[in-house]
Amino acid sequence: MKRVDLILSERELDPVLQAIDQAGCSGYTVMRHVTGRGPRGAVSENMEFSGLGANAHVIVFCAPELLEPLRSSLRPLLVYYGGVGFVSNAEPL
Amino acid sequence: MKLCSSAAVDTSLILQNLLTPPVLFFFLGVLAALLGSDLEIPAPLPKLFSLYLLLAIGFKGGLELQHSGVGGPVLLTITAAVLMSLLVPLYSFALLRWKLDGFNAAAIAATYGSISAVTFITAESFLDTLGLHHDGFMVAALALMESPAIIVGLLLVKLAAPSGADAGQGMRWGAVLKEALLNGSVFLLVGSLLVGVLTAANNPLGAEKMLPFTDKLFYGALSFFLLDMGIVAAQRLRDLRQAGAFLIGFSLGMPLFNAVLGSLIARGLGLEAGNALLFVVLCASASYIAVPAAMRMTVPEANPSFYISTALGLTFPFNIVVGIPLYMALVNRLLP
Repeated sequence: MKRVDLILSERELDPVLQAIDQAGCSGYTVMRHVTGRGPRGAVSENMEFSGLGANAHVIVFCAPELLEPLRSSLRPLLVYYGGVGFVSNAEPL
Repeated sequence: MKLCSSAAVDTSLILQNLLTPPVLFFFLGVLAALLGSDLEIPAPLPKLFSLYLLLAIGFKGGLELQHSGVGGPVLLTITAAVLMSLLVPLYSFALLRWKLDGFNAAAIAATYGSISAVTFITAESFLDTLGLHHDGFMVAALALMESPAIIVGLLLVKLAAPSGADAGQGMRWGAVLKEALLNGSVFLLVGSLLVGVLTAANNPLGAEKMLPFTDKLFYGALSFFLLDMGIVAAQRLRDLRQAGAFLIGFSLGMPLFNAVLGSLIARGLGLEAGNALLFVVLCASASYIAVPAAMRMTVPEANPSFYISTALGLTFPFNIVVGIPLYMALVNRLLP
């Protein structure tokens, strides 16, 4: 089992979730209002009123064979809008 | 002697503006951030208040628009306002290209072509304090000036992108137009304006029932929202170091230039003082809600620290603290 962690702006959450669906993954977990620091400085909720909110953290667990379609559908979005994604191995309890 | 008396009038206008609760609360927010207070307003509240302000101003504008009608001068004023929102990004872009790349220049130019609804609302409050009349059709101008600048900004990106670059490769025009025309703030403002027009025409009792919400709460909500804006604006001041002297000069000089141009157009249109001030404020303000969100989506190559910090960290405070009374003095001097 693979675990994919994505950190991206909440504003681009919809296309990213669509890309995950299209890759054939059966589910994901979304944590909104994620703050921290990125290459362009602090990420906070203080611009929430303008629609430029904080980040979102998306976690996807998927079978190894789905990793490649997931990578090819997500990478263009992350490259264009900014954001990071990391893959790690995961073991069910 | 005349110059001295004009200067005294200008100072008194500035003082009158400074000592209104919304502006004082704005300063309180700035002070809280600069002194490192832990004053913090939970994120959903400013969003709620900004939506409330748009709804209230749209609805009230719609009621007044129904009464004033859309005769010749109204249409002329609205057309001039839309033309300004197309024109300002063009000459701003030409100036910005002197020091910035095409992406950043286009994003900042679009920001200055669009408007700040809160600056407009603060100017309305200022006019109410002075007892000067203003018309509801100016809200229609406000609503219609949001989107054109976004579209011009994106056209500028397409034109200015280095050949071979992938600017706009990921740009889907359907999504861009949707963002420009249907983003939440524009949609709510235009929608509330229409609700106001329909209510005034068909259900005056309904309009009266809305008044406690749209009128009585308005000033307090504006003050509360400006408290938050003071905190956010002061936090953005740090980013201005990254922006540099050229952008700092631009964010103070461009509103003044646009204000002078706006005043001359207002004079040509024969607007009365209250409407003329609102027209000038529309020309001189910069968007930090609709445009940054659209630019973030469509021109991710541009650095948000530039277009948000200039509009929110400098131009917005400048306009609500010094700009509005200064523009009033300008209007008073230029209008016959």
